[in-house]
Amino acid sequence: MTVAAGIGYALVALGPSLSLFIPVISKKPFLILTLLSSTLVWLISLIILSGIWRAFLPLNSTTWWPFAILIFTSVAFQEGLLLLFWKAYKRLEDILDAFADRVSKPRLYLTDKMQIALAGGLGHGVAHAVFFCLSILTPAFGPATYFVNRCSQILFFLVSAIIALAFVTVHTFSMVIGFNGYAEGIKWTNFLFHLFILLLE
Amino acid sequence: MESSILESIGQEIIGVMSPVSLCMLLVVLLVYSLSDSNPFSSSSSAPIRTAANLVYLENPSDSAAQKLEGALLNALVFVILIAVVTFVLVLLYYYNFTNFLKNYMRFSAFFVLGTMGGSIFLSFIQHFSIPIDSITCFLLLFNYTIVGVLSMFSGGVPIILRQGYMVSLGIIVATWFTKLPEWTTWVLLVALALYDLVAVLAPGGPLKLLVELASTRDEELPALVYEARPTVSRNEGNPRSTLGFLVAGVSDSGSVELQAVSNNNMYRDVSENHTSPEYAAIPVSNLENVVRERNRDEGERSPLVGHSRERYSSESNSSEYSTIVRNRESEIVVDEERSPLVDMLGMDNERDHQWRDSVVANRGIKLGLGDFVFYSVLVGRAAMYDLMTVYACYLAIISGLGCTLILLSVCHRALPALPISVTLGVIFYFLTRLLMEPFVVGMTTNLMMF
Repeated sequence: MTVAAGIGYALVALGPSLSLFIPVISKKPFLILTLLSSTLVWLISLIILSGIWRAFLPLNSTTWWPFAILIFTSVAFQEGLLLLFWKAYKRLEDILDAFADRVSKPRLYLTDKMQIALAGGLGHGVAHAVFFCLSILTPAFGPATYFVNRCSQILFFLVSAIIALAFVTVHTFSMVIGFNGYAEGIKWTNFLFHLFILLLE
Repeated sequence: MESSILESIGQEIIGVMSPVSLCMLLVVLLVYSLSDSNPFSSSSSAPIRTAANLVYLENPSDSAAQKLEGALLNALVFVILIAVVTFVLVLLYYYNFTNFLKNYMRFSAFFVLGTMGGSIFLSFIQHFSIPIDSITCFLLLFNYTIVGVLSMFSGGVPIILRQGYMVSLGIIVATWFTKLPEWTTWVLLVALALYDLVAVLAPGGPLKLLVELASTRDEELPALVYEARPTVSRNEGNPRSTLGFLVAGVSDSGSVELQAVSNNNMYRDVSENHTSPEYAAIPVSNLENVVRERNRDEGERSPLVGHSRERYSSESNSSEYSTIVRNRESEIVVDEERSPLVDMLGMDNERDHQWRDSVVANRGIKLGLGDFVFYSVLVGRAAMYDLMTVYACYLAIISGLGCTLILLSVCHRALPALPISVTLGVIFYFLTRLLMEPFVVGMTTNLMMF
């Protein structure tokens, strides 16, 4: 609607992640690197997904089931990504511990591990927010606005910003919880957790 | 509670990545704010004739094959020009015309800051209708330029000012380069990446010669490089507890960590091992305490060389290098940030004696200015399409830079900074534009997100 409203929407989507970023992550450079790499991994997964689905686009928006399949495959792919992340994280942990031993410093604390998981999840969340919300926000800086199709009272950009906010939270903490869960071994509780995320999305 | 190693790993990488990110962000903002003034303005229909445009002046109505061919010719001519100029520079350096080079670089920096910065400043004023008179403008610009030249080429200026001017120089040049037509820009970027690869790594490459000459003579490179010096003031809090190791070693399994800078011999004599980094060791109060806090001043001894020169107008006035250099030998440089360190070094035990020589050259990773410029050009050109491509290209460039830094820590030699990042950036740009955008836009407009 205006520049102010546009910035407002951007802040709605990214505000909590910014408030997580500045006190926790920007103090430790390693966490910044973790965030950047997890964002990159998410981006690559999105590119792969869009490459696979390119042949089927554009979908007509009258039927709902193509969208369901789309979302299902995408989310399943990303859960697989979480597993991959976990394996990479185990290796990283070994390297970091070996290094810590060599310079006779204490090994990684639990809070460190959780911070790494937080940074990874935040990377995913920020990538999601940027690609799904901010990239279409550019028209919001102009003079007009756009309402939702089905319910013509709500502003479109506001809805997308709120959804992006929700997803940031989901991504961030799902990674923390997921890592904690995986740390105790692959059990059926992990499957429940993934199912929960799947349903949520 | 003792601090863990997570506190400080990867510091130097961030020290290089943050100015690059800042430069890219500012270029994107400038491009956005100055480009949508009037999309059908007359300025876009009369493209400037620069050295990059000598052969072929792109026209939106040409066919694709014509554009590609013209862009290739343009890029070829540009790369040849750059190669010739680099060779001239190497010759001049070889024959010890260093004073001439330094004065020439001062003049070129002055010129770039003045004219190009001035024109960007003017278009900024025009776009936002800022009421300011011409005398004030001129005065501001003049001050800015003079302080810039002073800060970049003389000592005694706070490092943050110098870094800021480097970044602003990169921004100005990058904004100018984004005015080139689209096909030419992309082909030029790829051609420059290839040239960079050849010029640094091939045995006859001009940049390699330059770096070797500089290192054998134990001098600074006569170039504009950005130095990411780490902050010296790490002594907040208890020195014994803030034992941050900024440099990690390569682990035993041979895998390289992100911050792998040195080899395993961190505690041994630095002097006997060419590949070990130079540290500024700030000793803790307990002299027997082996673990000490280091500022990662020099990092690896390997220069990371970017590209060579570029020309901005047809008069080829500026010569800038992009190099990431780490000094191979130690130099005694009196620096105001160093003096507290030197005092503290007197308290060291004799183990630090070996480090004393290597400590004094208080330098971090150096990244050449041309790298800044071309990364920002890539992102700026992506910005002209969409914000999504900007983000994708930004991530690609940052990851390419990270890979290059890791390679640097493994190889310990001059490395070109452009190829990996530019390749990744171009690939990601086209992938995002062709594949991702219909996918994402289609989904978000239906509010289907995951």
